[in-house]
Amino acid sequence: MRLLSYASRRLLRGFATFLFAVTITFFLVRLLPGDPMLAIAAPGMTEELLARQIADLGLDRSLIVQYVAYLRELAQGNLGISFLRGQPVSEVLMARLPWTLLLTGSALLVTIVLGVPLGVLAAVKARGAVDRLVQMVGVIGQSLFVPSIGIFLLYTLGLWLDLFPIGSAVDPDTHGVARALSILHHLALPCLTLVMAQLASYVLTLRATLIESLGEEYCDLARVKGASERRVVWQHALRNALLPTTTLVGLQIGFLVGGAVLTETIYAYPGVGRAIFEAVGQLDYPVLQGAFVLLAATVVLANLLTDLLYGLLDPRVRTA
Amino acid sequence: MTEVTQSGIAAEEVQAPADPSPRRRTWRAFRQNPLGMGSLAVIAILAVVSAAAPLIADFPSGYGEEILVGPSATHWFGTDELGRDIFAEVIWGGRISMIIGFAASFLAILIGVTVGITASYAPKLDPLLSMLVDVSLALPVLPLMILVAALVGPSVETLVLVIALFSWPEVARIVRSQALSVTRLPYVDAARTIGGSHLWIMTRHLLPAVAPVIVVAVVLTASRAVLSEAGLSFLGLGDPNSWSWGKILYNAQRSGALTIAWWATLFPSLAILLLVVSATLVSIAYNDARNPKTREA
Repeated sequence: MRLLSYASRRLLRGFATFLFAVTITFFLVRLLPGDPMLAIAAPGMTEELLARQIADLGLDRSLIVQYVAYLRELAQGNLGISFLRGQPVSEVLMARLPWTLLLTGSALLVTIVLGVPLGVLAAVKARGAVDRLVQMVGVIGQSLFVPSIGIFLLYTLGLWLDLFPIGSAVDPDTHGVARALSILHHLALPCLTLVMAQLASYVLTLRATLIESLGEEYCDLARVKGASERRVVWQHALRNALLPTTTLVGLQIGFLVGGAVLTETIYAYPGVGRAIFEAVGQLDYPVLQGAFVLLAATVVLANLLTDLLYGLLDPRVRTA
Repeated sequence: MTEVTQSGIAAEEVQAPADPSPRRRTWRAFRQNPLGMGSLAVIAILAVVSAAAPLIADFPSGYGEEILVGPSATHWFGTDELGRDIFAEVIWGGRISMIIGFAASFLAILIGVTVGITASYAPKLDPLLSMLVDVSLALPVLPLMILVAALVGPSVETLVLVIALFSWPEVARIVRSQALSVTRLPYVDAARTIGGSHLWIMTRHLLPAVAPVIVVAVVLTASRAVLSEAGLSFLGLGDPNSWSWGKILYNAQRSGALTIAWWATLFPSLAILLLVVSATLVSIAYNDARNPKTREA
């Protein structure tokens, strides 16, 4: 029951966040210097199409009426028409979204799989040689510029050692298992780039919270009761230390999505990020606007999921 | 009466040399940290080199004779696809990258501190401001910056405003949580009791209390602003008339030099890394110097 009210509060908050994102894009696009028509009228657009767009969005009416119309169109999945292709923005982007979800999702998974043992290793031998190394690499890792990592990996693992393909997400004309392998093969470098970009934050956070947990009385009690140190770390301390890490996932997802835009640009990976890069070059505003709305929705949903996971992990949320 | 005053003064005189002001104590501890001082020196050198760019190298423009040659005595960092000297690009790029970093960070701090302190002091405004901050922090900022920068048209001013506009919530969050612990202290009540105006309490009592947090926020926001500028420039939204570190990478990517000439991307990448790592280390050293626990150790 407690969990249900927690979940519904989070749901409301996620909805408010999304509404905020939609609202600021709406007003930014219309109030910023420049012709608002610019954001919907493509140079090569036919009169008929333009008239339909203006009628759809009600650009001849007041800002508030326009806003309501915009929300109504959005609720029906209409994000406008791409300048470049004359195709609905939602179609253009929805075809790309799975690749971005695959990239960011796999990067998050690999980061956690690598980050948890590394954080534990550093915390258990706090102030030891391994810990100092982790901290030093961590500080540098947090300061890396995503495209720099991408270019470095592209050079070393892609071009020099020729281990992984560069560009696109899958070889054409592959099926079944071969296709799955090809997808993984193409995914490796972009995924590794994002892992390197965010791993340090996770390791350092987990290290700090785990050191704190290990010093608490309940860990001493477990030790006194004869539990092995291994058991104390993995069963007792880590459970509590993982909670702030779960919060970090929520905080880092925005960064992860930004990193995906830069990474997809380098590797010509056909996700939403690469679509953004192409749209910047062509000044395809509807695509840029639609991409932000879509990515904001993705981030809000991902945050909602981590919040619910947090609720399941933390008994205080359930019972307090 | 006189005795008390006298003994008070005497006690102060005795204690003064042994117990200097917290600010001086922090500075003294900071000076003893080689990593912190080294990083501060690196930032200073980068700033001086950037400021002196016109004296060191000509503005890279036009076409050179040697196209895409590796590092040599004449071209320390090699040349790009039009034969321009990459060393000159990095030096001149540092100017714009650092100017945008500092200007955007300054604006973001100004807004963030104002919002953070107001939220901590005015319980009625707090829920609204906090929600605004939380909601902005949850959004993917880079795609939003891209949209706005593309709409307004790329220029140095645009980049500064766009980066500041989307960086202040982080500052506001940190400042608010710090100021919140101070607003509950009795001395703030005392200030209110003697009839201090809200503005006076906020600027003279809350602001000094959060000053150390602001110092750290300035450093971290500036380095993050440098990364944001690099990201936007890398996507083609940099100022078209000037160089920045991100723009050198953008050029390499656009021209295809990226896959042929490692020097076209390595040196600007190193410049970004050097600046951001130094800023991070300075903030860590400052935090350590301020914290008596780590200072004594």
